[in-house]
Amino acid sequence: MSISVKLDRVLLDRGMSLTELSERVGVTIANLSILKTGKAKAIRFSTLEAICKELDCQPGDILFFEDDGKPSPD
Amino acid sequence: MKAIGKGSLSSILAMGLHITRIIMWIAFGGVTIALIVLPFVPALTMMFGGDADIEGDEFFDVALAFATIAVMLFVVNRLLEILKTLRFGSPFVKENADRFRGVGYALLIGEGAKFAFGFLSMIYDAEVSINSSFITWLAIIAVFVLSEVFREGARMKEEQDLTV
Repeated sequence: MSISVKLDRVLLDRGMSLTELSERVGVTIANLSILKTGKAKAIRFSTLEAICKELDCQPGDILFFEDDGKPSPD
Repeated sequence: MKAIGKGSLSSILAMGLHITRIIMWIAFGGVTIALIVLPFVPALTMMFGGDADIEGDEFFDVALAFATIAVMLFVVNRLLEILKTLRFGSPFVKENADRFRGVGYALLIGEGAKFAFGFLSMIYDAEVSINSSFITWLAIIAVFVLSEVFREGARMKEEQDLTV
């Protein structure tokens, strides 16, 4: 997949657990796990907005475009 | 009347199909026995001093019935599997698309068998009535279209499920 999700890294930086984020954002843990593990096929603007608001970050901090063969900016 | 759930149209349809399946298995068993025994009937009757002659028409009729019931059994089984997924709440799965496609191919083979038997009966000078209607061919095409609808539905459902 070309778009990778680095939610776990942002969560680690903020010292927040997935369960806590789930409660704050109002998205189930199952859905956040789908997002975290990169299995998600799409993300709603409303979900992205809520996550960014709670984690005090930009969408670009969570989502990265990975060109084929090139590594992500870690 | 509701379409899904207990006492719904789908459960009535499933019950009807279960009954049909039982009747068809019995018919299939009978036709299979007839198909195996029929070639030996003249010899057996001669053994007992009788004189019975089996016409080619009868053999072709039984063989055609065997093929038709086999196809119908396959179709009924696939429909029951599809209804089962409907009862459990998620009919839009890739398997159902494959099942519909299987039904389409089975109906196609059934119609093909009719023509094959018709052709063979002409060669062997037997009189077998072959009925193939325009509606049947239309239904076969509709089943293939339905299969693609279910495939697209399954794809959309998967996308919906994986949208966060």
